[in-house]
Amino acid sequence: MGSLLQVLFDALSLGSLYALGALGIALIFGVMRLVNFAHGDVIAACVFALLWPSVDAVAIIFAGNLPWYLLVPFVLAIGAALSVACEALVFRRFRHANPATMMIASFALGFVIRYFLLMLFSSRPKSISLLPALSQPVEILGARIPLLQLITIAVTMAVLFGLTAFLRRTRFGLEMRAAAENFTMARMLGVRANRVIMGAFALSGALAAAIALILGSQTGTANIMMGASVMLMAFIATVIGGMGSLAGAVLAGFLLGAVATVMQVILPPDARAFRDAFVYGAVILVLIFRPQGLLSARGTRERV
Amino acid sequence: MKRLMTALAATTCLTAPALADDERIVVGFATAETGFMQAYDKPAQDAAMIRIAEINAAGGLLGKQIEVVNADTKTDRAEGAKAGLTVIDAGADMVVVSCDYDFGSPAALAAESAGLPSFFLCAESIKAGIQGVGPNSFSASVLAAVQGATMAEWAHNKKGARTFYRLLDTWTEYNKGICDGFDWMLPQLADAKLVGEDTFLNEDASIAAQITRIKALPEEPDAIMLCTMMPGAVSAIKQIRAAGINSMILNGSGVDGSYWLSAVPDLSNFFVPVQGSIYGDDPNPDVTAFNARYKEATGGDPSTQYVYPGYVMIDVWAKAVERAGTTETAAVVAELEKMNAEPTLFGPRTFTSEIHHQNRARYLIVETKAGKPGVVDEWTISEAIPVAELMK
Amino acid sequence: MMSPSVARRTIATPVLLGLLLIAFALVAVAVGSKPFNQTVIDIFLKVIFVVGLWVFVGNSGVISFGHIAFACLGGYVAAWTTIKPMMKGMSMPGLPDWLMQTEIPYWGSAMVAAGWAALWALIFGSVLMRLSGIAASIATFAMLAMVNSIYSNWESVTAATSSVVGIPIIRSIWPYLVAALISVFVAWAYGISRHGLALRAARDEPTAAAASGIDIPRARLIAFVISGAIMGMGGALYSHSIGIVTPDTFYLGLTFITLSMLVVGGMGSLSGAVLGVLILSTLIQTLRWLEAGVQLGEITLALPGGVQEIALGAVMILILMFRPAGIMGNKDLSLPQRAALETRGPTGPRT
Repeated sequence: MGSLLQVLFDALSLGSLYALGALGIALIFGVMRLVNFAHGDVIAACVFALLWPSVDAVAIIFAGNLPWYLLVPFVLAIGAALSVACEALVFRRFRHANPATMMIASFALGFVIRYFLLMLFSSRPKSISLLPALSQPVEILGARIPLLQLITIAVTMAVLFGLTAFLRRTRFGLEMRAAAENFTMARMLGVRANRVIMGAFALSGALAAAIALILGSQTGTANIMMGASVMLMAFIATVIGGMGSLAGAVLAGFLLGAVATVMQVILPPDARAFRDAFVYGAVILVLIFRPQGLLSARGTRERV
Repeated sequence: MKRLMTALAATTCLTAPALADDERIVVGFATAETGFMQAYDKPAQDAAMIRIAEINAAGGLLGKQIEVVNADTKTDRAEGAKAGLTVIDAGADMVVVSCDYDFGSPAALAAESAGLPSFFLCAESIKAGIQGVGPNSFSASVLAAVQGATMAEWAHNKKGARTFYRLLDTWTEYNKGICDGFDWMLPQLADAKLVGEDTFLNEDASIAAQITRIKALPEEPDAIMLCTMMPGAVSAIKQIRAAGINSMILNGSGVDGSYWLSAVPDLSNFFVPVQGSIYGDDPNPDVTAFNARYKEATGGDPSTQYVYPGYVMIDVWAKAVERAGTTETAAVVAELEKMNAEPTLFGPRTFTSEIHHQNRARYLIVETKAGKPGVVDEWTISEAIPVAELMK
Repeated sequence: MMSPSVARRTIATPVLLGLLLIAFALVAVAVGSKPFNQTVIDIFLKVIFVVGLWVFVGNSGVISFGHIAFACLGGYVAAWTTIKPMMKGMSMPGLPDWLMQTEIPYWGSAMVAAGWAALWALIFGSVLMRLSGIAASIATFAMLAMVNSIYSNWESVTAATSSVVGIPIIRSIWPYLVAALISVFVAWAYGISRHGLALRAARDEPTAAAASGIDIPRARLIAFVISGAIMGMGGALYSHSIGIVTPDTFYLGLTFITLSMLVVGGMGSLSGAVLGVLILSTLIQTLRWLEAGVQLGEITLALPGGVQEIALGAVMILILMFRPAGIMGNKDLSLPQRAALETRGPTGPRT
């Protein structure tokens, strides 16, 4: 029982990370059909924002020592600001470009962010002790669960409920949902495009920052490439969830987390190294049977 | 230091193409000055430059000053091949290549086909040498397998560890090498038992599933052999301790250093094999003196033990050149292969015509206790790991 | 298969591109420096990869993140067929006996690699080509990740993540030039063939094309297999250019750089694919040269390390801002007097 519960928590916490990432990508895809490859680098940049630039091996903590009630808003603000800056400086000029061009532009932007961090901080991973209080295990029904896992799951749930309420109950949310369903139509009906897109980028950036906080406290490392693997999984989750469907992205994120965790548990030791091959095989199967994604958004036209 | 190297590089580049061998002695560094490998190559290269400066200050090698040329591999294999060719064109007599076998081998292969000796700065795979490059290639470090074997035997003999758990990060050959050495040693230890094993990937965001498997064991293992490297290592260690597992953790040298310890506050029961101590408590006072010289030259303390192989490399190569009386490849390689337990600042080094690497070496054991690392012991494995075993 | 008049009308494109590549090779020979020679070899390899990518991506309009998987398959074919049997036994003991004993020259391995990659393109393609748009893109990425995961862990056959060494190194520039020329001409011939035209019709007007009896999945599959073969050949030659092969050489890094070259050059035309490589490679090389330092009289000017990558990213964004369809847009290189004819030809205006 204890270990089963543990597996459940493992799957949920990994799934939470992917779901948060997928949400960040789906939000932007929804309003401007952009697959944002810079998302992973925004995650990394949020973690590095806690350090002073230096190429020494020992990290010089800057904001990392703030109490949590200041630290969390600080990082979220950094993420949102960086993301909005990306939109204002780069993506705004690609409104009418085709998706492939936007995709490559976002990749190039991510490349710029990554190498900028590399120049400031060197390639050596930096260690940070982020929210050390979360590194303790807690006992639940005979299972010892790291506190951070519980927080991760709780935060993700809170974000999901908060976002749902925001999208359902506020005017801004309504505009954003309308834009995601049919951007041109929404615009004709008086939705202010720039504001909605800015809002989507800000939300997406804040979500990236949330992932950065979780990854940072979980791994204790700031690493240039740290956002990359989450971003890839999130990207896949967005697609198999149904591009443009926020609920689908979240569902697929949790599903991917569960599949990866369960594979690690059930595969025999020799096959465990091939875990990713099985996971990606499953992705292909899902796509073959549901090319539009698990929950396809109405009004999502194929544009790539 | 950097300025000195660039100046040297600039002058030698201008005098290219290669001049006759007997006029100059040139060491070519085809290493990463940018990108991921830079963090590993730069410190070892700085140490190598210290040894070169020492030799030059003492009158040079064969009466000539050693010159240096550089080319950047950009942490890219195709660029590595170009960098190798660049330093060879600039007249290098010996080519120093990137720390890692995968990234260093293109340049080493270029040196090999030009008939020049090459040294990996700190590669720890058997392939970084005769087996993977050719008869003129060497590595300045110690095999990863020796690290795994050292930790297993030491933990068994000195700490009474009997039950072992093996956790392998399949990302690199280095990681697998540590676990291979551990696998070779374990059956030779009386009563030692492998109670479980698992794999993960360095970039895995979470290793919760792997940890759950450890916790499902009827009792906590005495020791966990953790075969991994940075950056994933910190994450794995942090998650293992956060899950409440307190077994001793055995590692390879890749996790040496105190720069990351802040990520896992109050880490204890944590053991790392090192060639020399960066913590100022090396049993050999000359090592501590070297650390001071390193700080003087680079402005910072050595951050890991991977600084040291660079120094050893120039040391043994210069000795071989001195003994051969020439930089001619065959003569230098023959002299290197005669070295048997050649004393260096960081323990004895042996090269044979069969293996250009250390399959047995003295290691210092560093224990981290309540977040403070320090040397607690030293250990040399009871017998050298057979070459046939390493090639498996 | 193709009408001679179309061939005559469009032959200027591959010929001009070929002359451009030959010019690069001649410059390398004239300079005579080994590192520069290696740089030009690297450019030719990128030309092969990007042209291979264009055959599928350019004609079908489906972005593929997976083509580097075929280069990986090809790269390992070079290891399997050209390394001395004794060395193979050490690094890859799981190979079947007949393959263990095989030792063929590099051009043979490149051809076998093309065939092997084409075979797998056929197998993967027959499943994946039913998908379109972003779902197809992500499925091709899943294919790349699968191949990478298998090749990174199949100890006995691929030596897992360890570099496989002993592949004969070919430092002469000519084989790479010939291979690049072959890919350009194959890509051109495919582009003007019945299948290529059908696929482009399906890209621009899927509904109309399907209604005219074009079997879209089949048309895509043909492009997928041909492009897979070109990538496979490129992968084998890549292995021969540096003498080692590892799975992570053929993963995200190479995927993104080749896709960027294609899109920046302009994925609508073959000329865009080739020029994208040549322009971005020249830019990268110039920036590297600046980064290494330029001697101006007494002083050495050097950009700080890392600026090269940042500048590259910025320039790519700028190019795309001002030319969203890439440098070439949808146009192909052609001789001036034929330009008028060209626009009415099969490679004419597209959206």
